[in-house]
Amino acid sequence: MEESEDVPKDFIKLRSEKLSVDEVSELVVSPYCGAVSLFIGTTRNNFEGKKVIHLEYEAYTSMAETEIKKICRDVRQKWPSVKHIAVHHRLGVVPITEASVIIAVSSPHRAESLEAVTYCINTLKASVPIWKKEIYEDEYSWKENKECFWANSEK
Amino acid sequence: RRSPGRRRRCGPAAEGSSPRDGGSMRCQVSVLYFARSAELAGLRCETLSVPREITSLQLWEEIVKAHPRLAVIRDQVVFAVRQEYVLLGDQLLVLQPGDEVAIIPPISGG
Repeated sequence: MEESEDVPKDFIKLRSEKLSVDEVSELVVSPYCGAVSLFIGTTRNNFEGKKVIHLEYEAYTSMAETEIKKICRDVRQKWPSVKHIAVHHRLGVVPITEASVIIAVSSPHRAESLEAVTYCINTLKASVPIWKKEIYEDEYSWKENKECFWANSEK
Repeated sequence: RRSPGRRRRCGPAAEGSSPRDGGSMRCQVSVLYFARSAELAGLRCETLSVPREITSLQLWEEIVKAHPRLAVIRDQVVFAVRQEYVLLGDQLLVLQPGDEVAIIPPISGG
């Protein structure tokens, strides 16, 4: 493991194993940073009155990683003091209440990491090729983020 | 059941696609299907022979010829060509052999 604390790093992972908040936080911790901000996306058990059994995620993995790298690049342009960024997204089956996505950002002071985390999750929902299927008791539904500009588009 | 994120190797060219035309005007691209488009097409990837220069809408029409059930999602998809998003329309694509073309239904990550 590298010990060069000065170099800002991006930690991007798409995986089917359960995500760990501890693991993601520890990735971005830095002695130069007084703040680590976190977002955890978890799975709700209901949608429009229907009981959600679980979620399933799939991804265009290589492009998703590239798009997340672009988000990290944008973050560093907008908030140059941001030190480390970690984005872990789960693929495959995600049971109710477990995390689908964890984003962590460290910065010397809290304003930047709080804003950067918000930007990361909002932009991920708009641009990263990952798809979520909600499984109900009798049916399923491919979800569409409202941030996705080509959903329900009129041509 | 296939694990998401783990791709099969692309199979042979779909029925209905034209044979290679001397190689100079057409090329073989890898077409990737995701989410609802994979369900409608019945597969996750294949190799298709398409004209090297083609608008994104024409490319869509070639793919729908091979998989007519995809027609229902025409207004909800974009392409990713060499991992850049492309709307279905007049944009002229210049394709290279082996390029990845992905059908991208509305996304729902996060």
